[in-house]
Amino acid sequence: MIIALQLGLLYAVMALGVYLTYRVLDFPDLTVDGSFTTGASVTSVLIVGGQSPLLATVAGLLAGAVAGCVTGLLHTAGRINPLLAGILTQIALYSINLRIMGKANVPLLGQTTLLSPLRDSGQLTTWVGVGVFAGVVLAVGLVTVWFLGTDMGVALRATGDNEAMASSQGVSVDRAKVLGLTISNALVGLCGALVAQFAGFADISMGIGLIVAGLASVIIGQALLSGRTVWVAVVAVVLGSIVYRGVIQIALGVGLNPNDMKLISAVLVVVALVLPRTAPLRQWRRLRASRVAVPDLTETDAPEAAAPTGEAAR
Amino acid sequence: MLRLTGIRKVFYPHSVNERVALRSIDLHLAPGDFVTVIGSNGAGKSTLLNVISGRILADAGDVVIDGQSVTRMPEYRRARMVARVFQDPMAGTAPHLTIEENLSIAHARGRGSGLRRAITRAKRARFREELATLELGLEDRLGTPVGMLSGGQRQALSLLMATYVQPKILLLDEHTAALDPSRAALISRLTTVAIERNHLTALMVTHNMSQALAMGNRLVMMHDGAIVLDVPAAEKDRLTPQHLLDEFARIKGAAFSDRTLLD
Repeated sequence: MIIALQLGLLYAVMALGVYLTYRVLDFPDLTVDGSFTTGASVTSVLIVGGQSPLLATVAGLLAGAVAGCVTGLLHTAGRINPLLAGILTQIALYSINLRIMGKANVPLLGQTTLLSPLRDSGQLTTWVGVGVFAGVVLAVGLVTVWFLGTDMGVALRATGDNEAMASSQGVSVDRAKVLGLTISNALVGLCGALVAQFAGFADISMGIGLIVAGLASVIIGQALLSGRTVWVAVVAVVLGSIVYRGVIQIALGVGLNPNDMKLISAVLVVVALVLPRTAPLRQWRRLRASRVAVPDLTETDAPEAAAPTGEAAR
Repeated sequence: MLRLTGIRKVFYPHSVNERVALRSIDLHLAPGDFVTVIGSNGAGKSTLLNVISGRILADAGDVVIDGQSVTRMPEYRRARMVARVFQDPMAGTAPHLTIEENLSIAHARGRGSGLRRAITRAKRARFREELATLELGLEDRLGTPVGMLSGGQRQALSLLMATYVQPKILLLDEHTAALDPSRAALISRLTTVAIERNHLTALMVTHNMSQALAMGNRLVMMHDGAIVLDVPAAEKDRLTPQHLLDEFARIKGAAFSDRTLLD
């Protein structure tokens, strides 16, 4: 179970990136599958080349950021559909990642990585390791919450929520999208860098289907913990990532074929997307929403008239 | 304050669907002018506002605001000078953001958005003060997502956001049309108050003849992409909705007979 917790925490960094695009910007970004491997391969190659692991990790983060920026520019400057822009970058990155690594797999065995102190003292797969990873996620989460509370962060959220309004209020929505994609994929690249060092290798196929894991984390998290504030949403994403890895670990534990995991992940996301729209759950939500609706004083005959606000609350 | 010269806009040029939205619009608004714009559907009223706000760019002609040519300037940069309230109460606010977060965007308009906190104690106090002028009790609901508000409340908030940082030009695009009569009256009153308090130059599109006559100091009638009537303040007070209807029928009739002649 510790391994699931650790993987959940590590991949939560990526899930936070997916949250930024999918939820905040309303931009389903498929760059993730490629930029994750880019982060991993850049970091691994630099570590094998004798660079300091910290520098290598930062380089992995920056490589991810560049990938995200490219997708953003394809969409804004090139007016390419968001899904297609992401897919194009992702496919291009496959070749680029092979170029970076020079081969399909770069092992990190015997190299000094950021996790070497933990590994050497035999603490990597203990609660100490979990604590360290939790600390990393806490730091990334705090930065995310802080950013989304700045003028720039709110502008980003407004862009995802109501683009026309953001633009008419002086927000450059193109710049907001590029920025959001850059930050998101920086986190994804960082996650790739950390996962490579944890697993002990970078592999060309390590990012395949990762976007589904990211979406699953975001959606599961939101189903478990729904709240209006940014920090609740961020905690929910981390929680979702841990639960997702737990479910996968359990599925493997009961003897399911590892090759079926992508299918199971996809089904999990479909269920999580469809289930909340079924009748009983919707009714429950509506009930909750009407309870917190604001009394409408623009009505001339005030109190009884609060009902119509319920439908506006999604 | 606002000068339009020879504005022309054609949609779908060189195709079977080609439609001339604006023929050649010349319009000048002096500082403090509050012009109401009426006209039938497809007369080009909304296109005119879109050209002024920068949402669409004109094919020909010049848009000059306060002496500065903004013809090619994109919408988000013009937002420093031009504010707008839309017909759809959902269009002017972000539903998943709270009231105070929405206002923080209006607060940042023209200053650019940096890494400063969006919500501070000082800003919150100002938001409360401004919301209190609406007399809707929203000042006690700063943390409520705007999606929970009614259409009237959201439109009042949109109006407040549009005038929060004083714009050089305020555009109102049938902003009371989607509301029931009592709320429409409220928003009209708030509009008049906001314009008078801030001495704004404004352009209001409406389908409601009596609203067009009751508000503003000047009236413009559009038909088929052109301004066909421009009533100055002195004459506007004497006009009645019947005058406007007669004028409207006369113009439409003229257009019709022109077309029959061509056939």
